[in-house]
Amino acid sequence: MNQFTFEGKQKTFCLALIGVGLLCMGLTFFMDETPFHTRFWSNFLHNSVFFTGISLVAMFTLAAFLTAYTGWHIQFKRLWESFSMFMGVGLILMMIVAAGIWMHWHHLYHWAADGITEVGHANYDSVIAGKSSFLNKSWYTFGTLIFVGIWFFVFAVPFRKLSIAEDSEGTSDNAHHGKMRILAAGFVPIAAFTSCALIWQWIMSIDAHWYSTMFAWYTSASWFVSFMALSIMLLIYLKSKGYYEQVTAEHLHDMGKYVFGFSIFWTYLWFSQFMLIWYANIGEETVYFHTRMNEFPVLFYGNLIINFALPFLILMRNSTKRKYGTLLFTCGLVLFGHWWDFFLMIKPGALHTAMEAAGHGAHGAGHAVEAAGHGAAHGHGLEHAVEHAEHATGFVTGFTLPGILELGTFAGFLGLFLFVVFTVLGKAALSPKNDPYLAESLHHHT
Amino acid sequence: MKENKDVLFGLYDDEEILMSAIKKANADHLDIMDVYTPFPVHGLDDVMGLEESRLHIAGFIYGAIGTLTAFCFMTWVFTRDWPIIFGGKPYWSVPAFIPITFELTVLFSAIGMVVTFYTVCGLGPGVVNPILDDRITDDKFCIAFNTNGYSADKISKIKSFFSNTGASEVHTKVI
Repeated sequence: MNQFTFEGKQKTFCLALIGVGLLCMGLTFFMDETPFHTRFWSNFLHNSVFFTGISLVAMFTLAAFLTAYTGWHIQFKRLWESFSMFMGVGLILMMIVAAGIWMHWHHLYHWAADGITEVGHANYDSVIAGKSSFLNKSWYTFGTLIFVGIWFFVFAVPFRKLSIAEDSEGTSDNAHHGKMRILAAGFVPIAAFTSCALIWQWIMSIDAHWYSTMFAWYTSASWFVSFMALSIMLLIYLKSKGYYEQVTAEHLHDMGKYVFGFSIFWTYLWFSQFMLIWYANIGEETVYFHTRMNEFPVLFYGNLIINFALPFLILMRNSTKRKYGTLLFTCGLVLFGHWWDFFLMIKPGALHTAMEAAGHGAHGAGHAVEAAGHGAAHGHGLEHAVEHAEHATGFVTGFTLPGILELGTFAGFLGLFLFVVFTVLGKAALSPKNDPYLAESLHHHT
Repeated sequence: MKENKDVLFGLYDDEEILMSAIKKANADHLDIMDVYTPFPVHGLDDVMGLEESRLHIAGFIYGAIGTLTAFCFMTWVFTRDWPIIFGGKPYWSVPAFIPITFELTVLFSAIGMVVTFYTVCGLGPGVVNPILDDRITDDKFCIAFNTNGYSADKISKIKSFFSNTGASEVHTKVI
């Protein structure tokens, strides 16, 4: 079977996941105890970034593999092409977050507060004012729009069009392949640089005072592991449905190696970032880890166990990468683990920002949402902020640990992702027909 | 003293022919001593029915010993033997130990595996291993049989196997 049909049952399942997600998001929105619906919005940002990143990495991997004359993945490259088509949806999701900044729907980013760059304003922050040429609403919006737009419309869509055209019009001079190679060679450096800028804006700027030069690498490694884990799980699922019969344990073995290797790579980056900051012991840098180690210990240490210790020990042996059961288990684990990793990147900063902003606001205008950090008397505002920051050290549902609603939101976004992937997957042959590397993929042996 | 082997071997020009020849030998129940190739041939292990190497298990154990050695040694030095405060950190600062622990894990595992591999294969300085034909290291693929105690009938059966499966040359050598 070389044609995937998106069956009614699978559609129902995906839609049910989306339904659960919408329900949970609705519940989160109305039951939210944190100011500015921060729990809802941080969940939204968290999952949007996570899945948009997976689709970006899918496109990046396709491009990097093509540039490197890789052939073993060609059989199932349509799966990754389908992943990359989610970037269009990701663009919409990130635009909703950007719209939220303009419309004051949320207060995820401290740098977006009014008057933050005005000397003398109650909100004035000299550090953020110094970064304001990068951290501002316009650049957030247009940076996202331009960069994700370029990834999607300039590279991913034409890439897939060429790939599909090759099926029917492919010639022996591999003209389509040559054009795809040019696209791929352009995409690799462009995506590498621009994704860094977007990672800084989307995630790192939640802790607006803090920065780390390792951060973009570290986040991309997290995306890559999640992407590979999700690919393995979907391939095993599709094989169980009778598709991709030629994808064998050999291919999955190599993908298992990627999950193993990049889990270690992720740990290497995690530790490099951590150790430099720990060693240098500079207050404005250590605060990031201090908060996470002391107020979010389960997230912090759990992160290392799920994303390093377990995949490292389980996938070390040869045979565990060839058995579908252990692969499925480990991939499920690290997919959840890296979702957890993004949770840890986003939640502490978002909670802190919201609490501080509410501290300012509650004193000023009386009701928190409207006041969103406007014009409180400076001294009193600060006291409130401290008070609220202390308040934040206790257990906060949906921040200190992911709650049921967080998992439901994750399920919803996963359903949306799968719905898009399956829809796109059904629109073309599962394996390309005239790709010059197809034969290599069919005879792959590790 | 090791007993000498009378080796009957055939040389092939191509790994495709080699692979089908090995499959034929298995079907004929001929007991192949070894196969020599100038480069790794994919799928050869499976066809020859070789077991998976256990070298990596040894590697894991050496690595674990390296981890423990490094970690315990540093712990002893910095808490008992010669405690010094570096940069205001506690004596027992685990993050600072990680890079060295990692390095020693890799070092122990690598050196241990090399030594084990050399020991198991009987390699080492001063050891001369007989080579059947120099061209096996260049462009010839070789299937070798140990014909010690074989009847003339069996030897002629092997010779006909070589000619049937497309061997370009057949030789004998005592090693």
